[in-house]
Amino acid sequence: MRDFELVRPSSLAEAIALLDTEDGGVRAFSGGTGLMLMMKTGVFTPTSLVRLDGIEPEHAAIGIDDDGSLRIGALATLSTVEHSPIVQKVAPLIPEAMKRLANVRVRNAARIGGNLAHGDPHMDLPPVLAALHASVRAVGPDGERTIAVEDLFAGYYETVLGRGELLTQVIVPSQAGWASVYHKCTTRSADDWPALGVAVSLRVVDGVIADSRLMVSAATEKLTRLVTAEAQLKGAETKAETFARAADAAVAEAETIDDARGSAEYKSSLLHVYVRRALRDALSRGALQ
Amino acid sequence: MTLVKPMPAGQVGRSVPRLEARQKVTGRTDYTHNLTIPGMLHVKVFRSTTAHGRIVSIDTTAAGALPGVHSVITGEDIRKVVPEPYYGPAFHDQPVLALDKVRHVGEPVAVVLAEDPYVAAEAVQLIVAEYEDLEPVFDEVEAMTSKAIVHDALKPAGTFADLKHVAAHRNTNIALDYHLRRGDTSAAFAAADHVYEHEFRSQQVMHTPLEPMVSLAEPGDGIMTIHTASQSPSFVRTEIARLFGWPENRVRVKVPHLGGGFGAKLYIKLEALVACLALMVRRPVKLSLTMEEQFYTITKHATTFRIKSAVTSNGVVTARHCEVFWNGGAYADIGPRVTQKSGFTAPGPYDIENVSIDSYALYTNRPPAGALRGFGIPQLVWAYESHTDLIARDLGIDPLELRRRNILKDGRPHATGTLMQDAAIELVLECIAERMQWSAPFDRGTGTVLRGRGIAIGFKASISPTTSVAIVNIAADGSTNLYMSTVDMGQGSDTAMAQIVAETLGIETETIRVVRPDTDVTPYDMATLGSRSTFHMGNAVKMAATHAKEQLAEMAASLGLTPGTNYQTSDLFKKKFGMQAGNVIGVGTFIPSYKSPDLATGLSENVTPFWMIGGTGVEVEVDTETGHVRILRMVNAADLGRPLNPKIVETQLSGAAVMQLGFTLTEKMEMDGGQVTNASLADYKIPGLHDVPLVMENHIVQANQHSGPYGAKGVGESATFGVSPAIANAIHDAVGVRLTELPLTPEAVFRALHAASKD
Amino acid sequence: MDSSTLIRFTLNGQPASARIKSYFTVVDLLQSLHLYGARESCGQGLCGCCTVLLDGVAVSGCLTLAQLVGGRSLTTVESLDQSGILSPVQQAFIDEGAFQCGFCTPGFVLMVHQLLERNADPTDDEIRDHLAGNLCRCAAYPEIIRATKSAAARMRAAATA
Repeated sequence: MRDFELVRPSSLAEAIALLDTEDGGVRAFSGGTGLMLMMKTGVFTPTSLVRLDGIEPEHAAIGIDDDGSLRIGALATLSTVEHSPIVQKVAPLIPEAMKRLANVRVRNAARIGGNLAHGDPHMDLPPVLAALHASVRAVGPDGERTIAVEDLFAGYYETVLGRGELLTQVIVPSQAGWASVYHKCTTRSADDWPALGVAVSLRVVDGVIADSRLMVSAATEKLTRLVTAEAQLKGAETKAETFARAADAAVAEAETIDDARGSAEYKSSLLHVYVRRALRDALSRGALQ
Repeated sequence: MTLVKPMPAGQVGRSVPRLEARQKVTGRTDYTHNLTIPGMLHVKVFRSTTAHGRIVSIDTTAAGALPGVHSVITGEDIRKVVPEPYYGPAFHDQPVLALDKVRHVGEPVAVVLAEDPYVAAEAVQLIVAEYEDLEPVFDEVEAMTSKAIVHDALKPAGTFADLKHVAAHRNTNIALDYHLRRGDTSAAFAAADHVYEHEFRSQQVMHTPLEPMVSLAEPGDGIMTIHTASQSPSFVRTEIARLFGWPENRVRVKVPHLGGGFGAKLYIKLEALVACLALMVRRPVKLSLTMEEQFYTITKHATTFRIKSAVTSNGVVTARHCEVFWNGGAYADIGPRVTQKSGFTAPGPYDIENVSIDSYALYTNRPPAGALRGFGIPQLVWAYESHTDLIARDLGIDPLELRRRNILKDGRPHATGTLMQDAAIELVLECIAERMQWSAPFDRGTGTVLRGRGIAIGFKASISPTTSVAIVNIAADGSTNLYMSTVDMGQGSDTAMAQIVAETLGIETETIRVVRPDTDVTPYDMATLGSRSTFHMGNAVKMAATHAKEQLAEMAASLGLTPGTNYQTSDLFKKKFGMQAGNVIGVGTFIPSYKSPDLATGLSENVTPFWMIGGTGVEVEVDTETGHVRILRMVNAADLGRPLNPKIVETQLSGAAVMQLGFTLTEKMEMDGGQVTNASLADYKIPGLHDVPLVMENHIVQANQHSGPYGAKGVGESATFGVSPAIANAIHDAVGVRLTELPLTPEAVFRALHAASKD
Repeated sequence: MDSSTLIRFTLNGQPASARIKSYFTVVDLLQSLHLYGARESCGQGLCGCCTVLLDGVAVSGCLTLAQLVGGRSLTTVESLDQSGILSPVQQAFIDEGAFQCGFCTPGFVLMVHQLLERNADPTDDEIRDHLAGNLCRCAAYPEIIRATKSAAARMRAAATA
């Protein structure tokens, strides 16, 4: 490994200015768990790492807006999010999913913003947050914008974030009236990265599905929203046949990929099972107040 | 778990905490991993990216020019110092660094030495090698007949008495073939009510000791000291002395505690390389492998096992033919010995009149394979116990009952002709059956989650003939040291051996200090492998302690003290030497008797000094929609004679079973053109806490190894034997499909279910 | 070429300093200070052998840049018996025989300490979840669960005594 410099800006603007460069060896460094792995394997050779912990306090806070939506500073560690009573109250699915996300040490170090910006399709948070209709705030040289989590990923380890653009916040709207579930399927040891992640959110009114959000990850190249499956659910009764139709649609629209965790064909079969089970479990779990 | 009555002195049979426990929980254990020596250079290895090729050129110019690099060394440089730089326990086939040819991806081709390991690693990236690709062979069955020849000529080492017949053949990938012929199998097959024939395959896996392999060589004035995480310090000394053409006493091998071994750190691995480098650069040289590099260093044999049985209508096996192909990879390591030593147990622990075995060690262009916790036995049990279950199912006989009808009883001859002695096969089987409540009704589950259960038993011969030597040294104050070269890699040998000394001398185990292996100090031991230490070294230690005790008694007699009167050991020394001075040194040397199998028939009336027996029963739950298998309950049982330390024994049993669980369900080295595509713990998944069966029991059956020290024998491998077939049998029981290839992944179960539903 | 920089920090409660290279990890830093309880094995933060506490929080030493330790508090397994007495977790690991080769043990011990600080009476499932990112190739897992529960009981008893 070659020497590199580690710079510590004290403001967001300063950080963005440092990152707005053509030098591919310059990267933002928050928890560092993902980046360190890339550096150790030689996938990434840094010239300069821009530490974000100097701008931490204002960008690591967790709070609730007047409309009941949750705001998580992008520099909050996953552990902070996991153990936050506020998060537990607004979106209990997040801490539930955290329990088996990577491991305790990674969660202690990794930041929620860095976790999303890494673009790894095997992560648990993207499908969970997307199912919860979450969005992120991004600030870059050209200003600030809001991006839905489901639109954040451009491909395998790729996001839509531009040069010098940093995530500052994750916003999760109030989940009142919604029931949500995340199921991950590992096919090797239990602590493996998932072969498949399925997150669903349902809003049921008088036994009829008024609205739903279905996300698949890990089995596909990037986080994918299953829109035709959602269409199958809209206005339908909450019964096994409905869920099976949605699962059929999910399998038809999700482009699963082969990897060491299983063949594409097998993952499509798993997707069918997991969509049905996730819908069933969301229904039996019931909506948040 | 069975309760054991301690021996009279109260030391053997007691669950003494490990003597080194405090060091281990405080992080102060002295692993080679931690060792640094002033002036030391770090080595990083440039490895082949080609599975099979002739070396055309190696360009080290850029690497050598990188600031901070001390030197770059290739195989040709080594050859200038050591003219025949090939090593190995069975064959002298492995070059210290590749010469002329590369034979597997990951083979060491050149090294960089630097004070900063990061600089060495960066310089390695700058080395460029060019190869002329040769056709590779990866599959063990194809290697039998392939045109691709891994080694132009075979180079047997002749180190082992029982491999003396390995001749120098050309144009073959068969490193060793072992054949056994007993009775008349052809006639038995012709006369059989039923003939069953199956093929089973097992995958290549890696030991992944958490302390990755590491060796450090320190040159001195006409001597070479090697600090190494090795399971066989005596062998390393012999082999380095041979390579250098030196007498053994100029090579010193020191081994502290090991962070796991499991067979990975056996014989000679990195030691030849660091020793040659230290000789050349005249500075201490340390090579620490990364987890990834371990996958290219030593692995467990993948196998193909074709098994065929003649069976009567009432389930008696009258003949069995076994054909086993062992994928040894590019270098033989100890593979030929596995082929023979394990090969002769291939028919299983059953009393079969007519047996034939053909067992082949094969060279391929995969990373080398050697010993891994069981020395080939788990691969064999996987096949014969799956086969046993299939026979039982077809005949409509309960699988437990079929085993009872065929089981090999004490006093009956094994396939080799050796009579079974102190082999509690029946007890192990019945213990599992009882704990599983085999005859009671069983809940088979409903809907998409179905349940099943399976059992399997296996056995293993000890390697032989091998020697262990021990020294017990009693100081003038009566305190005692034990000197031996058995390596404690976590199995608790220091503690168990100290218990033997303590029992013999009638002192407290905790007062004994065990001296770490150091070939300048501790005497010869063949190696710490194959569950041999408790028996072989245990006997040597007991002899050494007895020898010391006899000398104390003689001393007492010569001083006019009568036995049974009230005197301390220290009184003897004071009285004899006039002050606190002198030593009593007891020495014990143990080698069991043995008769090498006949070359033509494979038969021998004395093929092993003892037998190890192990078995497993499991209850599983199968998700028929996804293929996921959950182990609800696992019962392991073993015959290990009398347990010296019941608590350590139990940990050995459960640890072995969980390790084998990984080899059964998740672990597999994925290969692409000879490259391992999952050479890291991120992609090669070993069992974690969530993978351990919800309920796990470990049982020691009431047994006694009459020739063992205080009735004991080895245990480190026994609980691996039955795990894989027990699970496959349970899956079959639950959902009616049979898997014949390891690992038993959810996708494999799913596909089998899918295929079955189409039929 | 000496590109090393000096960092000052607190190590096991005492002021400390070290010269480090920009790319050193916390494991490299500790080795340079002759502390070997945290050790690199998988190199990917998956096995837990390199566990240390940074400002009291468990992280993987092999994935943490040494530079980040400057001005902060680093705690290793060697801190636990500074008084010469083993911690209740260490004693429980011995009593339950919760290790074989011992290479992973310091990592497990530190992780159990962190669990018990947050949860005085963890269930088996909570223990499994918390320790799922630590690997033991000797597979002393059942004993580790027993040791964790035993340590928790000892610490609760000591707290009420």
